[in-house]
Formats: sequence, structure tokens, C-alpha cells
Amino acid sequence: MEPSLTGKRVYRHSIAARLTHWLWALAMLVLVMSGLQIFNAAPYLDASDKSNPAKRVLAIGAREPAADPQHPVGIVLLFGHPFTTTGLLGYTDDGAGAKTERAFPGWATLPGEQDLADGRRWHLFFGWILTLSIVVYIVAGAIRKDLRELILRPSDVPKLLPMQLYYFRLRKEPPPHGTYNPLQKAAYTVVLFVFIPLIILTGLALSPGVDALAGPITAVFGGRQFARLWHFTLMTLLIGYFLTHMALVFATGAWNNIRSMITGWYVLGEHDGVGP
Amino acid sequence: MNRRLFVASSLGALGLSGCTSRFKDSLTQGPFRSVLTSAEKLNGVVIGTRGMARLYTDADIDRNFRVNGLDTPSDTTYTGLQKDDWRGYRLVVDGLVDHPQRYSLAALRALPLQTQITRHDCVEGWSVIGKWRGVRLADVLSLAAPKPSARYVVFSCFDQDQQGTHYYESLSLGEAAHPQTVLALDLNDAPLDPRHGAPVRLRIPTQLGYKSAKWVYRIELAKSFAAIGNGNGGYWEDQGYEWFAGI
Repeated sequence: MEPSLTGKRVYRHSIAARLTHWLWALAMLVLVMSGLQIFNAAPYLDASDKSNPAKRVLAIGAREPAADPQHPVGIVLLFGHPFTTTGLLGYTDDGAGAKTERAFPGWATLPGEQDLADGRRWHLFFGWILTLSIVVYIVAGAIRKDLRELILRPSDVPKLLPMQLYYFRLRKEPPPHGTYNPLQKAAYTVVLFVFIPLIILTGLALSPGVDALAGPITAVFGGRQFARLWHFTLMTLLIGYFLTHMALVFATGAWNNIRSMITGWYVLGEHDGVGP
Repeated sequence: MNRRLFVASSLGALGLSGCTSRFKDSLTQGPFRSVLTSAEKLNGVVIGTRGMARLYTDADIDRNFRVNGLDTPSDTTYTGLQKDDWRGYRLVVDGLVDHPQRYSLAALRALPLQTQITRHDCVEGWSVIGKWRGVRLADVLSLAAPKPSARYVVFSCFDQDQQGTHYYESLSLGEAAHPQTVLALDLNDAPLDPRHGAPVRLRIPTQLGYKSAKWVYRIELAKSFAAIGNGNGGYWEDQGYEWFAGI
């Protein structure tokens, strides 16, 4: 789906937008990996105010089969349904080359070996980086009015389906649009103003200090243990967003897209507009 | 095994994970570490120990209260006192105070007691609700009259780990003065059992569970905790956990 370029260059991303974009991309990576490290210390999620096995939504662990106890298997229990995940989840690498009972494997966590204390150090530092870089991104975008181009408006809603049909090759032309197409706007709006604020809030809701200071933050998510489930769910949604983002960056002219997020300059394609 | 699982485990088998682990550990242990740990101060300032921990009702109590941290002490002083039903136990309050104190358990129970049903949030991610009864730490401290130079309250605890490292913990004066910070004597309407910190345990519901030190026998007011243990203010802090455990 490489678009034919019109050759017209536009300055699309301000220096603030580019710097903070890469900063929060890095923060997300560190937060996911250190978050999986933290998850490993209590590898289950309960839809409850406190730990409650009766309301367990997800549990990752290992089991020694009676027939072959020498070879433990990794098991994921999702709403009580078991899935065998040996090697990937539950019975995985310990970060030092051996296999052990461990929810997420060493290659996916930060640090690699099981170390809750250091995982928390990474997570609580990069939580600030994510929060501050998102705030700067939004404030800079609002001041420069760039943000107007990527926020979904009511007038974009009727264009969502035609745009999806175009992506599915069921429609020849995309609906006319500005700098970003309606689906991009929907994705960016949800990520910037729903997913990221919620993942920060659910993270804070895990904290006994924040619970005492601002109880409603914890209460609104159903309590500390429930907030842990929301926090994890939002991470999954953001990983889903990231994978979609990558697929589209590569499908719509990888170099033009990546260059624009480095230099700011973007070469317009045949269907690209400019403006909100 | 599906294809994705196969790829993931093959990467592990090739030793790639060991390689990335070494890289990641070098970042964690290198000079960047002091940058990472700086967030703790910021969190301490922004969150601090303000407001009140949420109170629960009798219906929320977990009767089988999960044990956190180290298990029952094997220390002979401790087991000796326990066999004698704690008759020989004394809680010492000293250090930078005008009136050092020594409390028997009966003397502690003679002070005003507070009951709180609060949630214990473990750093590992689990939580459990219990009913605690004990003496407000603020009351005990004010009877000892801390000197103006005192800045920290250091708790010495019975027991040591397998390496012989002694178990201890510390709070700032402000954290210690919080009205829900108590020296707990009872859990769920019964005297504390050894696994939960008998005979006296700190209970600070505004911070994570590891701050709630078990088996306390001495409370020392100090200017600094730099000379105690590895100098980070507690047994778990010396293993890399934050001294400010409000998050």
C-alpha cells in the first residue's frame, strides 16, 4: 500500500512533538518490561479489592505433570481455562539461561533475572518520564495547534467506516481528510486521552500512599487489586496499539514516516491532506 | 506447541535471553542506577504520608491473614521469651529522647488502644485485610519526648536471615506521627502470632507491607540511619527496595 507521493514536503512534527514521541516510546518499552518483572512477583490478577482466588481472572504458573514430574509445564489460567504455554509463560527462562517457574520470561523483563526491587526502580522512574513527556507533548501540541489535527471530531465519525473499508481494499478511495485520516485520529485520541491517562491513574491506584491521599482514585477502579487488573489490561491494549502503529508505519511508507518523526519533514502522498 | 511459542523458546535456547539480560543488568547496576533511584525522593515528596488509609468493615476481614516477609524467628532470645509467654519481654524506647522508656506487654496494653481494619498491601502485588489493635506510635513517642535533633525512628527486630543479617526498619518522625501508624499487639481479635510479628509489630497502612516491621523490641530515635545495617534504613531497603514505600 505504498502511496504515490506528490513530492510536496510539509513540516509535520514540531521539535517538542518529535522529542517527546521518542521519549514516551522509550518509557513505554521500559514500563512494559519492568511491569512484567513486577507482575512476576504475584503472577495473578483478581477482580476484587484485595487478593481473592475466587475472583481470579488471570494466573500464570507452572505445573509438574504426574506422569512426568521432571518436565514442568507452563500454564496460563484465563477465567479458569488452562492453556499450555511452556517456554513462553509460566515455565520459562530465568534470565540466566536456565528454565524455571516464572510467569514472564527473562528476555521480556527488566532486569532479566527475577528482581522485584530493581524492577520497581525502573518502573517508578520511567512512570515519571511517561507522565511528564505526555504532558509536554499535549501542551506543546495545544500551543502549536498541532493537536487539532489529530483529535477526532464529530464530523470525522461518519468517515470511520469508509476509511476502514478502504484499508480492507473494499473501497477505492479513502474519504477526504486532513493531516491524519479518521481512523488515525480515533486511535491517537483514544491512546493520548484515554489509555495513557488511565494507565497512569491505575498505576497510582496500586499505591497505599495515593489511596490514603486520594482514595477515590483507587475506589473508582474497584480497589487496589482490581486496579492491578485494569493496569495490566491497559498495557495489553497499548501493546495492541503499538503493533497496529508499527504495521501502518511500515505499510504506508516506512522511511517517509520515520524520517518525519526525526526531521519533522513529511512528503505528502496522493491521499494526504493537511489540516484538521 | 504453536509457532510463536516455538520461536520464543528457540530464542531462549540460543542464549539470546542471557545476552539481553546481561545488557539489561549492566544498565540497572551501572552509574544510571542513581538516576533511577532519584524517583524515590520525588515520590516521597509528591505522595508522602498524608490522608488516611481506607477503613474496612468486619465483613471484609481475611481470617487467614497471609504472612509477609520473613517467617517465624529462630533466634534463641526470641524463642525463649515466647516460651515464657513474653513475661520477660520489654519494648525499649531510647536514643535521642528525654525520657527513655521500657514497656512490658501489660504496660503497652494499658495505653489507649486503637483498632483499625485496614488493607495490607504487599510490595509483591497481593493484598489482605485485617483487624489490628495496638498503641499509636505517636503516643509512645510523645511519652519518651524526642529531642529536637531526632529525625528518624529506627525499629530493631528479633531475628536475622540465613546470612546473619539483622532485621530492622525505620520511619521519619512525620510517618511515625501519622494517626494510623500503630504498634500492633493483636490481629483479628487475637494476640499476634509469631509469623505475624508477635509480640509487637509496627503497622503503617499508608505504606507497603515491608515497612510494617515484625518482632520489634527496640525503638530508637536517631539523627540518621546511615550507620545501621547497610545504611539504607531497613532490611528490605538494604536489598534495594525503596525507603519511601508509599507507592
